[in-house]
Amino acid sequence: MASAALKEQLKKQIIEQLNLEEVKVEDIEDSAPLFGEGGAGLDSIDALELIVLLEKHYQLNVTNPEEGKQVFYSIDTMADYIEKHKA
Amino acid sequence: MIRKASCCRFTSEGIFVNGEKRFTLNHFEEELTEVYRQLSVEYPKFYKMDLMSKVSFLGVELLKGVDSELALHREDEEVGLLFANSESSSQTDLRFEESYTRDGLPSPSLFVYTLPNIAMGEIAIRNKWYGAHMFSVFPNFAAAYFADYGRLMLKDGAKRVVGGWVDVREQPDAAFFVLDSSLLENREEALQVLNQVYSNH
Repeated sequence: MASAALKEQLKKQIIEQLNLEEVKVEDIEDSAPLFGEGGAGLDSIDALELIVLLEKHYQLNVTNPEEGKQVFYSIDTMADYIEKHKA
Repeated sequence: MIRKASCCRFTSEGIFVNGEKRFTLNHFEEELTEVYRQLSVEYPKFYKMDLMSKVSFLGVELLKGVDSELALHREDEEVGLLFANSESSSQTDLRFEESYTRDGLPSPSLFVYTLPNIAMGEIAIRNKWYGAHMFSVFPNFAAAYFADYGRLMLKDGAKRVVGGWVDVREQPDAAFFVLDSSLLENREEALQVLNQVYSNH
């Protein structure tokens, strides 16, 4: 399980990278889906920005679309992926 | 008597709606967010738009505030969009270039705005206006373009056409106006009205 500090850092980076000006860290639930209704409501362009975010801040490349669906499902899944793959 | 067109004008002095100053702009780009908030519009995608799209979005929202017929047109193909400027999307093009020369990584969200007609797409999506739309680039404000192509759009089924001139790279120089058949039936009068919209606040 990834640390709470990593998840909070990730939320801050997502808010900044995606210009989510009306969203606060506490608005994003760790396990809620990032895309579609019922979550943060991100779109396909945001998905590309998340790929850039992982490369820019964590030097991780997500190139497999199927893997991307799982990695970017929620803050929990993103943080777990970073923990698992960080050097 | 010369007709008037509902209009909204952005200059370095501020934002004018039908000639009346509604907002003062000292730091143009930063203050657009405050204008958006004051309009009490709930559309979070505004924050992600590039500068030209933000100005176009706000211009049309302000036009809807003074043109009730335009505000009522929803979910139909009867509103056309006819835009132009002198700089295409160069303001965003440069930002996109900076994003990959500075960080080594191109920004996808900037890339999607590296076409000038995206500003019209944002307005069409927001208002569900699915009529014809056209964007052209001219050295200066071209009243004849708006009068002549506006008439073609009206002839082809549009009931109203929203015109927009949107330069944002140096200082704000934008004008938004509503064109309808009564305004455009006399070309000379239409040119006079359009030039007044652009030259006056």
